[in-house]
Amino acid sequence: MRLEKCWFCSSTVYPGHGIQFVRNDAKIFRFCRSKCHKNFKMKRNPRKVKWTKAYRRVHGKDMTQDSTFEFERKRNKPERYDRNLAENVLKAIPKIDKIRVTREERHHKNRMKGNKVKVQKEATKELEQGISLVKAPLALQQDPSLTLPKIKVTVSQQQSQQNQPMEE
Amino acid sequence: MAASFASRCSRVSRSLFRGLSNNSPGLFTTSHEMTCSNSFSQLQQQRTFIQMRTVLKVADNSGAKKVMCIQALKGKKGARLGDTIVASVKEAHPNGKVKKGKVVYGVVVRAAMQRGRCDGSEVKFDDNAVVLVDKQGQPIGTRVFGPVPHELRQKKHVKILTLAGHIA
Repeated sequence: MRLEKCWFCSSTVYPGHGIQFVRNDAKIFRFCRSKCHKNFKMKRNPRKVKWTKAYRRVHGKDMTQDSTFEFERKRNKPERYDRNLAENVLKAIPKIDKIRVTREERHHKNRMKGNKVKVQKEATKELEQGISLVKAPLALQQDPSLTLPKIKVTVSQQQSQQNQPMEE
Repeated sequence: MAASFASRCSRVSRSLFRGLSNNSPGLFTTSHEMTCSNSFSQLQQQRTFIQMRTVLKVADNSGAKKVMCIQALKGKKGARLGDTIVASVKEAHPNGKVKKGKVVYGVVVRAAMQRGRCDGSEVKFDDNAVVLVDKQGQPIGTRVFGPVPHELRQKKHVKILTLAGHIA
Protein backbone atom coordinates (compact mmCIF):
# COMPACT_ATOMS: atom_id res chain seq x y z
CA MET A 1 0.00 0.00 0.00
CA ARG A 2 1.36 3.38 -0.85
CA LEU A 3 -0.01 6.84 -0.28
CA GLU A 4 0.38 8.77 -3.50
CA LYS A 5 0.19 12.49 -4.18
CA CYS A 6 -2.44 13.95 -6.45
CA TRP A 7 -0.76 15.40 -9.51
CA PHE A 8 -2.99 18.42 -9.54
CA CYS A 9 -3.58 19.52 -5.98
CA SER A 10 -0.78 17.60 -4.21
CA SER A 11 -3.04 16.11 -1.59
CA THR A 12 -2.57 12.50 -0.56
CA VAL A 13 -4.49 9.85 -2.43
CA TYR A 14 -5.50 7.05 -0.09
CA PRO A 15 -6.13 3.52 -1.36
CA GLY A 16 -9.50 3.15 -2.98
CA HIS A 17 -9.72 6.75 -4.10
CA GLY A 18 -9.09 8.52 -7.32
CA ILE A 19 -8.21 7.73 -10.89
CA GLN A 20 -4.87 6.94 -12.42
CA PHE A 21 -4.31 8.10 -15.97
CA VAL A 22 -1.47 6.53 -17.93
CA ARG A 23 -0.31 8.52 -20.90
CA ASN A 24 1.25 6.83 -23.90
CA ASP A 25 4.72 7.98 -22.92
CA ALA A 26 4.18 5.90 -19.74
CA LYS A 27 3.84 8.92 -17.47
CA ILE A 28 1.29 8.22 -14.76
CA PHE A 29 -0.97 10.99 -13.45
CA ARG A 30 -2.78 10.30 -10.23
CA PHE A 31 -5.77 12.34 -9.16
CA CYS A 32 -7.39 12.40 -5.78
CA ARG A 33 -10.87 13.22 -7.01
CA SER A 34 -12.78 14.08 -10.11
CA LYS A 35 -12.35 17.81 -9.50
CA CYS A 36 -8.61 17.51 -10.09
CA HIS A 37 -9.15 15.06 -12.94
CA LYS A 38 -11.55 17.38 -14.73
CA ASN A 39 -9.22 20.33 -14.31
CA PHE A 40 -6.46 18.24 -15.81
CA LYS A 41 -8.64 17.33 -18.77
CA MET A 42 -9.31 21.04 -19.28
CA LYS A 43 -5.53 21.39 -19.55
CA ARG A 44 -5.30 23.79 -16.65
CA ASN A 45 -1.88 24.43 -15.21
CA PRO A 46 -1.91 23.67 -11.48
CA ARG A 47 0.62 26.44 -10.92
CA LYS A 48 -2.05 28.93 -11.94
CA VAL A 49 -5.00 27.45 -10.11
CA LYS A 50 -5.31 29.20 -6.80
CA TRP A 51 -6.36 26.38 -4.49
CA THR A 52 -3.57 23.95 -5.38
CA LYS A 53 -0.44 23.42 -3.36
CA ALA A 54 1.64 24.04 -6.48
CA TYR A 55 0.28 27.59 -6.75
CA ARG A 56 0.84 28.27 -3.08
CA ARG A 57 4.42 27.08 -3.24
CA VAL A 58 5.21 29.04 -6.38
CA HIS A 59 3.68 32.24 -5.00
CA GLY A 60 5.37 31.97 -1.61
CA LYS A 61 2.23 31.35 0.41
CA ASP A 62 3.50 28.06 1.85
CA MET A 63 7.06 27.30 2.77
CA THR A 64 9.02 25.47 0.14
CA GLN A 65 12.39 24.48 1.55
CA ASP A 66 12.63 22.79 4.86
CA SER A 67 14.55 19.90 6.26
CA THR A 68 11.32 18.18 7.33
CA PHE A 69 10.47 17.65 3.65
CA GLU A 70 13.59 15.55 3.22
CA PHE A 71 12.00 12.75 5.21
CA GLU A 72 9.14 12.40 2.77
CA ARG A 73 11.17 12.23 -0.42
CA LYS A 74 10.66 9.13 -2.46
CA ARG A 75 13.63 6.84 -2.36
CA ASN A 76 13.84 4.30 -5.14
CA LYS A 77 15.95 1.88 -3.17
CA PRO A 78 13.94 -0.55 -1.04
CA GLU A 79 15.04 -0.88 2.56
CA ARG A 80 15.64 -4.25 4.12
CA TYR A 81 13.14 -4.73 6.89
CA ASP A 82 14.56 -4.03 10.30
CA ARG A 83 12.23 -4.12 13.26
CA ASN A 84 14.12 -1.49 15.24
CA LEU A 85 14.22 0.83 12.27
CA ALA A 86 10.51 0.46 11.67
CA GLU A 87 9.76 1.11 15.33
CA ASN A 88 11.89 4.26 15.39
CA VAL A 89 10.31 5.52 12.22
CA LEU A 90 6.83 5.03 13.62
CA LYS A 91 7.81 6.97 16.73
CA ALA A 92 9.42 9.75 14.73
CA ILE A 93 6.58 10.41 12.32
CA PRO A 94 4.31 12.35 14.72
CA LYS A 95 7.25 14.36 16.03
CA ILE A 96 8.29 15.36 12.54
CA ASP A 97 4.70 16.32 11.74
CA LYS A 98 4.51 18.54 14.79
CA ILE A 99 7.76 20.29 13.90
CA ARG A 100 6.62 20.80 10.34
CA VAL A 101 3.31 22.29 11.46
CA THR A 102 5.01 24.71 13.85
CA ARG A 103 7.39 25.81 11.13
CA GLU A 104 4.54 26.35 8.71
CA GLU A 105 2.70 28.45 11.30
CA ARG A 106 5.79 30.53 11.81
CA HIS A 107 6.10 31.05 8.07
CA HIS A 108 2.46 32.13 7.93
CA LYS A 109 2.96 34.55 10.80
CA ASN A 110 5.98 36.06 9.08
CA ARG A 111 3.98 36.45 5.93
CA MET A 112 1.15 38.24 7.77
CA LYS A 113 3.50 40.45 9.83
CA GLY A 114 2.74 43.90 8.43
CA ASN A 115 -0.92 43.16 8.29
CA LYS A 116 -2.20 44.46 11.64
CA VAL A 117 -1.20 48.07 11.01
CA LYS A 118 -2.71 47.96 7.53
CA VAL A 119 -5.96 46.49 8.81
CA GLN A 120 -6.16 49.14 11.56
CA LYS A 121 -5.64 51.98 9.09
CA GLU A 122 -8.28 50.63 6.75
CA ALA A 123 -10.71 50.23 9.61
CA THR A 124 -10.39 53.81 10.81
CA LYS A 125 -10.83 55.12 7.29
CA GLU A 126 -13.93 53.05 6.77
CA LEU A 127 -15.34 54.23 10.09
CA GLU A 128 -14.93 57.86 9.09
CA GLN A 129 -16.39 57.48 5.64
CA GLY A 130 -19.04 54.91 6.08
CA ILE A 131 -20.54 55.65 9.50
CA SER A 132 -23.68 56.89 7.76
CA LEU A 133 -24.44 53.32 6.75
CA VAL A 134 -24.72 52.32 10.35
CA LYS A 135 -26.13 55.35 12.17
CA ALA A 136 -28.22 58.18 10.77
CA PRO A 137 -26.51 61.58 10.71
CA LEU A 138 -29.30 62.93 12.94
CA ALA A 139 -28.41 60.55 15.76
CA LEU A 140 -24.76 61.51 15.50
CA GLN A 141 -25.54 65.18 15.78
CA GLN A 142 -27.84 64.74 18.76
CA ASP A 143 -25.37 62.64 20.71
CA PRO A 144 -21.84 63.76 19.95
CA SER A 145 -20.32 60.97 22.06
CA LEU A 146 -21.07 58.45 19.33
CA THR A 147 -18.82 60.13 16.80
CA LEU A 148 -15.11 60.26 16.38
CA PRO A 149 -13.63 63.52 17.60
CA LYS A 150 -12.95 64.65 14.03
CA ILE A 151 -16.56 64.80 12.83
CA LYS A 152 -18.09 68.26 13.07
CA VAL A 153 -21.51 68.73 14.61
CA THR A 154 -23.81 70.98 12.56
CA VAL A 155 -25.86 73.69 14.23
CA SER A 156 -29.59 72.92 14.58
CA GLN A 157 -30.66 76.33 13.03
CA GLN A 158 -29.19 75.43 9.68
CA GLN A 159 -31.07 72.17 9.79
CA SER A 160 -34.52 73.83 10.13
CA GLN A 161 -33.72 76.09 7.17
CA GLN A 162 -32.81 73.04 5.12
CA ASN A 163 -36.08 71.32 6.02
CA GLN A 164 -38.34 74.09 4.65
CA PRO A 165 -37.62 73.62 0.94
CA MET A 166 -38.24 69.90 1.40
CA GLU A 167 -41.73 70.48 2.79
CA GLU A 168 -42.72 72.54 -0.17
CA MET B 1 6.45 18.55 -24.65
CA ALA B 2 5.13 19.45 -28.07
CA ALA B 3 4.69 15.81 -28.93
CA SER B 4 2.66 15.12 -25.82
CA PHE B 5 0.53 18.21 -26.45
CA ALA B 6 -0.05 17.10 -30.02
CA SER B 7 -0.92 13.60 -28.90
CA ARG B 8 -3.31 15.03 -26.35
CA CYS B 9 -4.94 17.23 -29.00
CA SER B 10 -5.33 14.27 -31.29
CA ARG B 11 -6.66 12.23 -28.42
CA VAL B 12 -9.32 14.86 -27.71
CA SER B 13 -10.36 15.11 -31.33
CA ARG B 14 -10.30 11.36 -31.89
CA SER B 15 -12.14 10.61 -28.68
CA LEU B 16 -14.81 13.20 -29.49
CA PHE B 17 -15.34 11.50 -32.83
CA ARG B 18 -15.45 8.14 -31.17
CA GLY B 19 -17.87 9.46 -28.58
CA LEU B 20 -20.15 10.76 -31.32
CA SER B 21 -19.96 7.53 -33.25
CA ASN B 22 -20.71 5.60 -30.09
CA ASN B 23 -23.83 7.61 -29.52
CA SER B 24 -25.17 6.62 -32.92
CA PRO B 25 -27.64 3.74 -32.69
CA GLY B 26 -25.87 0.44 -32.87
CA LEU B 27 -26.17 -2.97 -31.32
CA PHE B 28 -24.98 -1.67 -27.97
CA THR B 29 -26.65 1.60 -27.11
CA THR B 30 -25.98 3.99 -24.27
CA SER B 31 -27.00 1.45 -21.65
CA HIS B 32 -23.44 0.81 -20.62
CA GLU B 33 -22.26 4.05 -19.13
CA MET B 34 -19.80 3.10 -16.51
CA THR B 35 -19.14 6.74 -15.68
CA CYS B 36 -22.02 8.51 -13.93
CA SER B 37 -24.06 10.13 -16.67
CA ASN B 38 -23.54 13.82 -16.13
CA SER B 39 -25.13 16.74 -17.84
CA PHE B 40 -21.95 17.57 -19.75
CA SER B 41 -22.17 14.28 -21.68
CA GLN B 42 -21.83 16.25 -24.89
CA LEU B 43 -18.58 17.84 -23.74
CA GLN B 44 -17.09 14.96 -21.74
CA GLN B 45 -16.14 11.85 -23.58
CA GLN B 46 -18.03 8.75 -22.54
CA ARG B 47 -15.50 6.00 -22.53
CA THR B 48 -17.20 2.74 -23.36
CA PHE B 49 -16.34 -0.85 -24.03
CA ILE B 50 -14.47 -2.15 -27.03
CA GLN B 51 -17.15 -3.62 -29.25
CA MET B 52 -17.81 -4.53 -32.84
CA ARG B 53 -16.43 -1.93 -35.28
CA THR B 54 -14.07 -0.43 -32.73
CA VAL B 55 -10.78 0.46 -34.36
CA LEU B 56 -7.77 -0.20 -32.22
CA LYS B 57 -4.12 0.57 -32.55
CA VAL B 58 -1.70 -2.32 -32.72
CA ALA B 59 0.99 -2.06 -30.08
CA ASP B 60 3.45 -4.62 -31.38
CA ASN B 61 5.59 -5.29 -34.40
CA SER B 62 3.49 -8.04 -35.93
CA GLY B 63 2.96 -6.00 -39.10
CA ALA B 64 -0.54 -4.68 -38.57
CA LYS B 65 -1.18 -1.05 -37.74
CA LYS B 66 -4.93 -0.84 -37.17
CA VAL B 67 -7.44 -3.56 -36.47
CA MET B 68 -11.18 -3.42 -36.21
CA CYS B 69 -12.88 -5.48 -33.54
CA ILE B 70 -15.25 -8.11 -34.83
CA GLN B 71 -16.17 -9.83 -31.64
CA ALA B 72 -15.41 -9.43 -27.97
CA LEU B 73 -14.94 -12.88 -26.49
CA LYS B 74 -16.34 -12.85 -22.96
CA GLY B 75 -18.58 -9.98 -22.07
CA LYS B 76 -22.03 -9.14 -23.30
CA LYS B 77 -21.40 -5.43 -23.62
CA GLY B 78 -17.91 -5.54 -24.98
CA ALA B 79 -14.27 -6.03 -24.14
CA ARG B 80 -12.30 -4.13 -21.54
CA LEU B 81 -8.70 -3.84 -20.48
CA GLY B 82 -7.07 -7.24 -20.51
CA ASP B 83 -9.73 -9.10 -22.50
CA THR B 84 -9.22 -10.87 -25.82
CA ILE B 85 -11.02 -9.89 -28.98
CA VAL B 86 -11.36 -11.18 -32.51
CA ALA B 87 -10.37 -8.52 -34.98
CA SER B 88 -9.88 -7.91 -38.66
CA VAL B 89 -6.72 -6.20 -39.86
CA LYS B 90 -7.61 -2.95 -41.56
CA GLU B 91 -4.16 -1.43 -42.05
CA ALA B 92 -0.84 -3.20 -42.19
CA HIS B 93 2.82 -2.63 -42.95
CA PRO B 94 3.72 -3.82 -46.44
CA ASN B 95 5.98 -6.65 -45.32
CA GLY B 96 4.76 -7.99 -42.03
CA LYS B 97 3.63 -11.25 -40.55
CA VAL B 98 -0.04 -10.33 -40.89
CA LYS B 99 -1.67 -8.95 -43.98
CA LYS B 100 -4.64 -6.71 -44.46
CA GLY B 101 -7.96 -8.49 -44.22
CA LYS B 102 -6.76 -11.27 -41.97
CA VAL B 103 -8.84 -12.27 -38.98
CA VAL B 104 -6.73 -12.32 -35.83
CA TYR B 105 -7.07 -12.56 -32.10
CA GLY B 106 -5.84 -9.75 -29.90
CA VAL B 107 -5.39 -8.85 -26.25
CA VAL B 108 -6.46 -5.35 -25.24
CA VAL B 109 -3.48 -3.73 -23.54
CA ARG B 110 -4.67 -0.13 -23.39
CA ALA B 111 -8.24 1.02 -23.07
CA ALA B 112 -9.60 4.52 -22.72
CA MET B 113 -12.33 3.21 -20.44
CA GLN B 114 -11.28 3.03 -16.83
CA ARG B 115 -10.92 -0.32 -15.21
CA GLY B 116 -11.18 -0.86 -11.48
CA ARG B 117 -8.21 -2.28 -9.67
CA CYS B 118 -8.44 -4.60 -6.68
CA ASP B 119 -7.31 -1.84 -4.29
CA GLY B 120 -10.29 0.29 -5.34
CA SER B 121 -8.55 2.77 -7.62
CA GLU B 122 -9.13 3.04 -11.35
CA VAL B 123 -6.78 3.16 -14.32
CA LYS B 124 -7.35 4.55 -17.73
CA PHE B 125 -5.08 4.95 -20.72
CA ASP B 126 -4.85 7.43 -23.52
CA ASP B 127 -6.03 5.24 -26.38
CA ASN B 128 -7.24 1.76 -27.29
CA ALA B 129 -4.46 -0.61 -28.25
CA VAL B 130 -4.17 -4.30 -28.80
CA VAL B 131 -1.41 -6.90 -29.05
CA LEU B 132 -2.06 -9.61 -31.63
CA VAL B 133 -1.93 -13.16 -30.35
CA ASP B 134 -2.60 -16.57 -31.78
CA LYS B 135 -5.27 -19.00 -30.68
CA GLN B 136 -3.11 -20.23 -27.81
CA GLY B 137 -2.51 -16.73 -26.49
CA GLN B 138 1.13 -16.35 -27.49
CA PRO B 139 1.94 -13.00 -29.07
CA ILE B 140 2.68 -12.98 -32.79
CA GLY B 141 5.08 -10.04 -32.64
CA THR B 142 8.37 -9.82 -30.83
CA ARG B 143 8.15 -6.34 -29.34
CA VAL B 144 5.46 -4.43 -27.52
CA PHE B 145 5.28 -0.65 -27.59
CA GLY B 146 3.92 1.67 -24.97
CA PRO B 147 2.81 1.02 -21.41
CA VAL B 148 0.82 -2.09 -20.49
CA PRO B 149 -1.17 -2.69 -17.33
CA HIS B 150 -0.29 -5.39 -14.86
CA GLU B 151 -3.83 -6.73 -15.10
CA LEU B 152 -2.37 -8.97 -17.81
CA ARG B 153 -0.56 -11.01 -15.20
CA GLN B 154 -3.82 -12.14 -13.72
CA LYS B 155 -5.12 -13.02 -17.17
CA LYS B 156 -2.01 -15.17 -17.71
CA HIS B 157 -0.53 -13.08 -20.54
CA VAL B 158 2.90 -13.22 -18.98
CA LYS B 159 4.68 -13.25 -22.32
CA ILE B 160 3.30 -9.83 -23.22
CA LEU B 161 4.41 -8.46 -19.88
CA THR B 162 7.95 -9.68 -20.43
CA LEU B 163 8.08 -8.01 -23.83
CA ALA B 164 6.66 -4.73 -22.55
CA GLY B 165 8.80 -1.67 -21.96
CA HIS B 166 6.71 -0.09 -19.25
CA ILE B 167 4.25 -1.74 -16.93
CA ALA B 168 1.70 0.74 -15.68
